[in-house]
Amino acid sequence: MRSNVSAELLVLRKRQATWVLLGIWAFMGIFFAYVIPYALDAEAAPRGLAQFLPQSLAGTLIEGFPFFGGVFALMLGVFALGSEYGWDTLKTLFVQGPSRGSLFASKLVALGIVLIAFVVVPFAAGAVASIVIAQIEGAPIVWPSAWLLLRTMAAAWLILAVWGALGVLLGVMTRGTSLAIGIGILYALVIEGLLSAFAQSVDVLEPLTQVFLRANGYSLAMALGASTQVIESNGPGSFGGPFVDSAQALVVLGLSIAGFLVLAGVLLRRRDLA
Amino acid sequence: MTMPRSTHDEHELVISTQALTKRYGDTIVAVDELALRVRRGEVYGFLGPNGAGKTTTLRMLVGLVRPTSGNATVLGAPPGAPEGLSRIGAMIEAPAFYPYLSGRDNLRVLARHARIDVGAQVERVLGQVGLGSRASDRTATYSMGMKQRLGVAAALLKDPELLILDEPTNGLDPAGMAEMRAFIRSLADGGRTVLLSSHLMGEIEQVSDRVGVIRDGRFVAEGTVGELRGRAGLRVRAEPPAQAAHLLAAMPEVEAVGGQNGLLEVVVDTAHAAAINRTLVHAGVAVSEIYAQTASLEDVFLELTATDGGAGS
Repeated sequence: MRSNVSAELLVLRKRQATWVLLGIWAFMGIFFAYVIPYALDAEAAPRGLAQFLPQSLAGTLIEGFPFFGGVFALMLGVFALGSEYGWDTLKTLFVQGPSRGSLFASKLVALGIVLIAFVVVPFAAGAVASIVIAQIEGAPIVWPSAWLLLRTMAAAWLILAVWGALGVLLGVMTRGTSLAIGIGILYALVIEGLLSAFAQSVDVLEPLTQVFLRANGYSLAMALGASTQVIESNGPGSFGGPFVDSAQALVVLGLSIAGFLVLAGVLLRRRDLA
Repeated sequence: MTMPRSTHDEHELVISTQALTKRYGDTIVAVDELALRVRRGEVYGFLGPNGAGKTTTLRMLVGLVRPTSGNATVLGAPPGAPEGLSRIGAMIEAPAFYPYLSGRDNLRVLARHARIDVGAQVERVLGQVGLGSRASDRTATYSMGMKQRLGVAAALLKDPELLILDEPTNGLDPAGMAEMRAFIRSLADGGRTVLLSSHLMGEIEQVSDRVGVIRDGRFVAEGTVGELRGRAGLRVRAEPPAQAAHLLAAMPEVEAVGGQNGLLEVVVDTAHAAAINRTLVHAGVAVSEIYAQTASLEDVFLELTATDGGAGS
């Protein structure tokens, strides 16, 4: 397994798309969480200037993960499996000896490891941005507790993992990348976005939205210090509730990951590679 | 022509299929109750026109495609089982690699998945296929022939007992094709079993110990190249032909005489050409032509794979 994971890490590490996605995601995360709102009017931010200082690092950064970060993780998941169909490299891998299940597992572990970078890099960049702002404002640098940071980063990884798993499933289902990314973004933007917006006026939709990735991702973020006002005004990723409790969010996200990956694994194992 | 070096013993079969069938929907039968038997140490040429079912058969043998019915054993294991695949090197259809990785890195990925010594094996197979100087270049920059060589290198990574190669000379120039054929032959001479699929008769003829010809998913012939060609004979043009035919038919060494338009087709060992010529001349028959003729594998192939509407394509 270790050898298989090492092979998959080489594939992901040397792929330009991995670094491009990581770079854009880190840049966007900082740009929309710090640069733009601070430059416009820091005092008008939901938590005022404190939102941009190191003490709010956890809550400020995780607000971007349930939607924007999710889209990047979705693309990464699609690339991890969908591209293999496009290049026909699955065929080359399958005849090397590892079982399909073991190969799939190694791809998932490698993807999970790469997603750690998709959490750590934005957090590191956010830390730098918050220090710069604190210096400009002459504010003291006070960090959140290590425990809060750890929990927030773990939650951020979980949120990315569920979107990555959806990307893996779509990549396997469509045996490619373009359609999979299209469907994934359509789901994230239109289905979850619009139905969540309608749910505020159509009661019957409310139970449905409570199992959406968006609702559960934001609910988890809320438990770690994210601002309701920021989430409600998060552009295409906005969400106005209803929120669920963090335990339910953890269960729904965990079950979603399991469901997506089991379905993808079954398809990968059972389908002919013709 | 080479001859098989092993006896037909069930225990020596490295590939054995029984009634192997693959259907797509209700109407398309890609492979139809195929009984393929490949013996240890031989180069088995799997010959057939495009669409005959060769690649589907190979895909079933390595577990990429599940048969609709029938069964197969490859190196004593079911197709696609890790214990079998670890001893098989395969290149099925066009070789496929990560375009952004170098040839060397592609092989490293495959070697890690196969859990073999990455460094030594990778360099060894790169050298074997003559790709050492371009191994650091991205495979997106490779020509078809170079990808083909890399595909063979990938198949050799595990130092396999059985090689399954699907059209390995595709995209190679004539010198490269000759080199590849010699290489494949040397692999078999080194004790490996090779299942070589191709639609190139010359390739199969020069390399294979035995040949199976497939059409519409079914075997239409199997045997050594010599057996498929049939026995050699003589073509004789003589005047008057009727007298010549009568004289030839009376010779004990002649098995049959046929022909038309003055050209007689004589089924006989070609070593008797001089005796036949002498007999006819002594009897006053004017012999203007006498020559040996053996059917080429291509003739046999075209005859075997001809459909009602003409030759198979």
